[in-house]
Amino acid sequence: MKRNIFKISAIVAAIAAASSCSLFQLDNYDEPSETIKGKVVDVATGEPVLTDQGSEGIRVRMTELSYGDNVEHNPDFYCRPDGTFQNTKVFKGNYNVRVDGPFIPIVRETSDGTPIYDGSITTDVKGTTEVEFQVYPFLKVEIVGEPQVSGGVITANVKVQRAVSVEKFKELVEPMGGYSDDFTNVTDIQLFVGYSSSMGYRARDTRWSNAIEYGGNKFEASLGQEIPITSLGTIPSGRKVFIRAAARINYDTPRGSGTRRWNYSEVVEVNVP
Amino acid sequence: MAAVIVSAVSCTEMDLPPKNTVTDDDLLSNQAGMSIYMATLYSKMPWEEFKYMAQWGINWNGWLASLGIEGTGEALDRDGVCTSFTNEDTPYWGRAFELLRNANHLIETLPSYRDNYAEVAYNEFLGQAYFVRAYVFYKMACRFGGIPLVTREIDYPADAETLEVPRSSERETWEQVLADFDMAVSLLPATPTFDGTANKFAALAFKAEAMLYAGSVAKYNENVSGRLTGVGAKTGVRVMGFAENEWQECSNKWFAEAYKAAREVMNSGKYSLYKKSWVKGDREAQYKNMVAMWQDLTSPENLLVKQYEYPTVTHGLDAYCSPFIFRAPLCSGSCPSLDFIELFDGFDRYDDGYTIRVTDGKDNASGNYLLFDSPMDLFANAEPRLRAYVIFPGDVYKKREIEVRGGIYTGPAPIKPLLKDYSYSAADTKYQHLDIYTGSNGASKTLFLSPNSGTNQETVTIDGVKMNAAGENGPFYNNGEGNLTGLYLRKYLNEDQPAEEIGEGKSDQPFILMRYADVLLAAAEAAVELSIAGVASPVEGDNMLQVATQAINDIRERAGAELLSGSLAGNNDSRDIVRKERRKELAFEHKTKWDLRRWRVLDEDNRDGFWGEQRDSKLYSSGTQFRFKGLYPFYSSETGKYFFDESYQWVSMKTFNYNVLDYYFAIPSGEVSKSKYIDQQPNR
Repeated sequence: MKRNIFKISAIVAAIAAASSCSLFQLDNYDEPSETIKGKVVDVATGEPVLTDQGSEGIRVRMTELSYGDNVEHNPDFYCRPDGTFQNTKVFKGNYNVRVDGPFIPIVRETSDGTPIYDGSITTDVKGTTEVEFQVYPFLKVEIVGEPQVSGGVITANVKVQRAVSVEKFKELVEPMGGYSDDFTNVTDIQLFVGYSSSMGYRARDTRWSNAIEYGGNKFEASLGQEIPITSLGTIPSGRKVFIRAAARINYDTPRGSGTRRWNYSEVVEVNVP
Repeated sequence: MAAVIVSAVSCTEMDLPPKNTVTDDDLLSNQAGMSIYMATLYSKMPWEEFKYMAQWGINWNGWLASLGIEGTGEALDRDGVCTSFTNEDTPYWGRAFELLRNANHLIETLPSYRDNYAEVAYNEFLGQAYFVRAYVFYKMACRFGGIPLVTREIDYPADAETLEVPRSSERETWEQVLADFDMAVSLLPATPTFDGTANKFAALAFKAEAMLYAGSVAKYNENVSGRLTGVGAKTGVRVMGFAENEWQECSNKWFAEAYKAAREVMNSGKYSLYKKSWVKGDREAQYKNMVAMWQDLTSPENLLVKQYEYPTVTHGLDAYCSPFIFRAPLCSGSCPSLDFIELFDGFDRYDDGYTIRVTDGKDNASGNYLLFDSPMDLFANAEPRLRAYVIFPGDVYKKREIEVRGGIYTGPAPIKPLLKDYSYSAADTKYQHLDIYTGSNGASKTLFLSPNSGTNQETVTIDGVKMNAAGENGPFYNNGEGNLTGLYLRKYLNEDQPAEEIGEGKSDQPFILMRYADVLLAAAEAAVELSIAGVASPVEGDNMLQVATQAINDIRERAGAELLSGSLAGNNDSRDIVRKERRKELAFEHKTKWDLRRWRVLDEDNRDGFWGEQRDSKLYSSGTQFRFKGLYPFYSSETGKYFFDESYQWVSMKTFNYNVLDYYFAIPSGEVSKSKYIDQQPNR
């Protein structure tokens, strides 16, 4: 009996020892310590393409190519509100990097999958690698002048202009198939309001944020005009809030995702007296 | 020498089948074996009933079983399982291929045993295999679009080329579903050998349901931003959606197939709507008729039923969804929403045409509350079908009055709406935040609510008698186990089960997987869709719109609802009449979540059609998000009467989220990364 117990405990100890050995063993990979930095800018002006951090914003997709034909992309991440991105925990390797957002797709193919244009970047990521994507944003959105506050309601004047002409849009997008002249219609302008300084769709407070919608091409006449838009409800006095305007066209990116992404203005801080 | 003999002999002996293995000879050569094979097939079917929750996926797990809580607006639940139908914990993939293998094995092997059976029986068993395969392909296609069409038993082990089957196009997938259902229909008899398996008409009815799905996605993908289609990165096959030059043809064809199949069931004359205790003009009898029909296995409406039998094969619906006073060990799992009951007849409305009138103003935020002697008075003229589906506050269930009360208001009448703002953006402000409840900002306390049951009830003394603020069943603003919306589920609960016998795994009422009303609604919807597309009736001699009108009226008559004032037409208004009827009739049957999906009315841009009828979705949405409302009775101590407040889900408020991406579930990523052939959805 006693001997059996000894045997059993010896076995248990042996198993424990064996498992703990493998636990402490390192795999043959260096830890992911490379950095990729990037920015998305307007090809015409060099200005950054402003966005929102979240799956409605500019998506960054990296694919490590050494895995072979059957490679799956790495987990997606999203640009910062200022149109830049950074990932400091990347494995060393050769990557394809593409971005999708409120701009003409940089990877374009016909509806049956034939490539037309590929503006994605393939690069070795080692140390700190910087990339820049020059794109055609759909719209340029600005908050003009100082927002007015009265009785807990903010009024901002929003100006929306096309950053890419309808003609250029058509020239680049039509070959992808299924083109419609409705694609370039501006469908809505948004006023996002809330306490977060990184204001956007995700951070908005639904009590105060507002939107104006436009059917068909009704917005056409308002392009370049200052459009007043007011916040909803009553923002309590003495609070500091952040506002941001956004607008989008009737075109989803990447095509087929159904997500129509907004172009954004800068964030404006507003004190509610 | 001796060794050679021994080895030669033993070689012969070793060639015998092992005695401890069940072989094809055992199973497929005789009817007793076949009953086992059928039990295997049917027990692995991806049925959606009491042992299914959208969140879990197909793993036959009845934990927390609730009905209609997948962001369809039918009902709400406190838990995280009450969420939009955008994925399943167990994606329907591995288990599907396991069942497909069982079906394919039968299709390939049964011909060797043909002489063992009479022709009818042989055809039936083969037909069952086709039915199973059709249903599995159908349910996979609903989730993923194009799928690997495994139509043969794949020998294993083999090289990758033999084993791997890439995803077919969505069009080919639905064509395979159609072909397999047609095979099943041609082979199955009117009366199946084994109880609980499909007959010819069940196969026809499911074919109609599947083709309605196929015809709808082909058509309504076109309404979605981005057209919802794409080709696979690895194969170049259109695994999702339809090409611009094919969707119309596909849609027309499949709606026609749906119509033909449904009409064949109708023309057989074998089935009818359950009206055993229905009496014309008697609302009470009509309501009781529709309560009884779920439990009656002899119902002429049932085409296929999943049966349960205590104590061996059971589920727990009553344990999870009964009112709070019957808590054992859980409760209140399906609380119908106000928005849902607004679909039904028998209420005064505001000018928007659907919101139930609770004040004398122009909407529920204005005017003074209407006062009622009892909460049940608001429902005095409610459609009998609604009463059979939903327990109203103050109605009777299991011989107990189901007391549901939000609180007591002690201020004077007339009473203005309690909340300042009833809009979506103000939905976070609840009754317990009001100054008249907290007594802050100089307000005197005139509103009494209860955070919880029992000793946590606030009380008001009225004429020397103490009254609890909240009803016996809540709502309690800090306890999601009480009532959430003012309403409770009645449909499918077993009222005859004694309260003390409620428990997990103690329910055994059946679930009706397919019933005749579904067939009528499929015929009506296909008829209107075909008429909109300008397609002639695929059934000779049929006036499709007349068939559709009659179908809707038959269902409405049984339900005690108002009949149509005229004939349905080939336009979107008529389509919406049929959709709304379907949403009402088939609520809490795991059908609505698929309907909303195939109508493509869940995403932000198309959500106006969410309720079957058109409602401005901006009123209950913010971007990709949306919420539902409750109908809360309050007692006014000054007047001794009740009033109702309509506001966003008061307790455990859920915010649902839906994106266009969600119309096709992601292929499990492990399946994509380990295969050279399996494509991920092109839009992900």
